[in-house]
Amino acid sequence: MLPINIKNKFGGVFIFSVMLLTGCQDKKTLPILGHKDTEVKGGKVDTVYHQIPAFQFLNQDSTWVSDQDYDGKIYVADFFFTSCPTICPKMKTQMLRLYERYSNENQLALLSFSIDPDFDQPHVLKAYASRLHIKSPKWNMVTGEKAKIYELGQKSFMVTAQEDKNEAGGFVHSGAFILVDKQRHVRGIYDGTNEQEVNHLIEDIELLLKEK
Amino acid sequence: MKRTPSILGLLAIVTILIVQSSCQSKEEIFRQQYVVEGMMLYEKHCENCHQKDGSGLKDLYPPLAKTDLWKRLNTSQIACIIKNGQKDAILVNKKAFQNYMPGNSKLEALDVAELVTYLRDKWGNDPRIFSLDSARIALKNCP
Repeated sequence: MLPINIKNKFGGVFIFSVMLLTGCQDKKTLPILGHKDTEVKGGKVDTVYHQIPAFQFLNQDSTWVSDQDYDGKIYVADFFFTSCPTICPKMKTQMLRLYERYSNENQLALLSFSIDPDFDQPHVLKAYASRLHIKSPKWNMVTGEKAKIYELGQKSFMVTAQEDKNEAGGFVHSGAFILVDKQRHVRGIYDGTNEQEVNHLIEDIELLLKEK
Repeated sequence: MKRTPSILGLLAIVTILIVQSSCQSKEEIFRQQYVVEGMMLYEKHCENCHQKDGSGLKDLYPPLAKTDLWKRLNTSQIACIIKNGQKDAILVNKKAFQNYMPGNSKLEALDVAELVTYLRDKWGNDPRIFSLDSARIALKNCP
């Protein structure tokens, strides 16, 4: 009798915890990251969330890419440079996983900003992209005015991106992947050099894809 | 009493065998140290691009595992590429890889010796040590 009782107890606890867990998962939504403001509109107080502002840069095919190309899309952004000897290859390995996994998912796109735009001209990005076997606009690699890219990185995508002569390769930047939703809100920041973190990002992308 | 000589003979042979095998394993232990150190250096300096399993990344970074590199290049050439990088295109399994490889100028001769020993052991199917002296000479004579 005793063993059966224990079994039943455990079984009960197990089912209960599964219910709890699934209950959580159903309700889970991703936070909106960044500075919040309030605005009074017609006597009502509204919360204004941080948003990715307008931008325009050239991609690997020398065509303009702007924020408007991402209207109604979820995208993952990162900051890199083609001659980077340190963390970029790891980031690109992980970004490739996303590229291959979501190749048929039109709601999701990838966007890599070069932080060495003087060297990373469109033709350099083109060579890099073709060696990675990737195509625009699914995965745009963009270049442009350095100050604008750094400002966008630091203020809007909330990552480190600047020149530093002491760093290998000459630039310091984070290995972050930034998840942006269809309303230009940053919904998550992940370590793009870490496979486990990118697994987590994939889970969050799945959640966002279900959002309306 | 008849047995004594044969026992002594046996003892002598066993002693010789033990001494010999211990000599061999000393060298082998030394080589294994190079391999282990080389593996840690690989993780730190090479794996980001060439990947943990040596498979490379598409056409961007060449593979090291299962390649003709180990037959086409000698250890000195490999040592020089590790230290000074590869500026021109390189053929790997008959495919040209154009991407510039940065050098690892901070690596010392010992690091390079350990790395080459590890690489050759793992993917070159060649379990010989690449000695510190060989590495010093190779690095002095890089093109």
